Amino acid sequence: MEWLIFGFLSLWLLVSVFGTLFLKNPVHVILAFLSVILAIAGIFLHLGAELLAGLQLIIYAVAIIVFYVLVITTIPWEKVKKFEGIYKREALMAVPFLLISFLPIAYMVLKGKFAVSQKVITEATSKAWVKPYLPTTSFLLRWLLLYF
Amino acid sequence: MKIEVAYILISIFLFLSGLFGVIIRKNLITLLVSTELMLNGVNLGLVSMDKMVGGVEGQVFALFMLTVAAAEVAVGLGLVVAIFRLRGYEGSSEITQLRD
Repeated sequence: MEWLIFGFLSLWLLVSVFGTLFLKNPVHVILAFLSVILAIAGIFLHLGAELLAGLQLIIYAVAIIVFYVLVITTIPWEKVKKFEGIYKREALMAVPFLLISFLPIAYMVLKGKFAVSQKVITEATSKAWVKPYLPTTSFLLRWLLLYF
Repeated sequence: MKIEVAYILISIFLFLSGLFGVIIRKNLITLLVSTELMLNGVNLGLVSMDKMVGGVEGQVFALFMLTVAAAEVAVGLGLVVAIFRLRGYEGSSEITQLRD
């Protein structure tokens, strides 16, 4: 069930990201970006960050999108129409670069080990050279608390 | 594979596609939307790492990043409007004063 939710949300996210990148009309781009924001709010809910999902909806979907639409209305439409779309040569040059930079990062994420904070702390305190200092520091702390 | 790792991969893809959009888009407003995609990718990575480690610090940091995104949009769109009113530019290929 968890992977089903993951597949639905990530597919939605990928489709809207491609819409944000390749649609021509700026208003359509902003609608696709709104869809990205809704998908990311769903992902935050799935990851257990409910407050962040609500704030994402409030700040992005209400404040920032409205600001974009406001600025689009202030600029004349003929000028916007003249510069819609993408640079094709730059796109062809950027695809292999981004693919090459995605693959090693994905390899490191999949094969590497993540540091878990509690485990790191317990390993550090169980080292041999730390042990003699622990009673001393606790004694000093008690002494400080008693006399000051 | 744990589900957090898959979400980290999705966040890397989101960041790189935002970078791709910054490189290829012609219009200044859609270029700013691509920077928002990059910020969202970083947020997603922070929250999924947070779920993996088992803390809440990443969520707090993502909250700060939301604030930064709102401020960045205000400044960026103000710059776009100012450039358009002063010079009439709307495309990213027109702003070449520093190069010429």
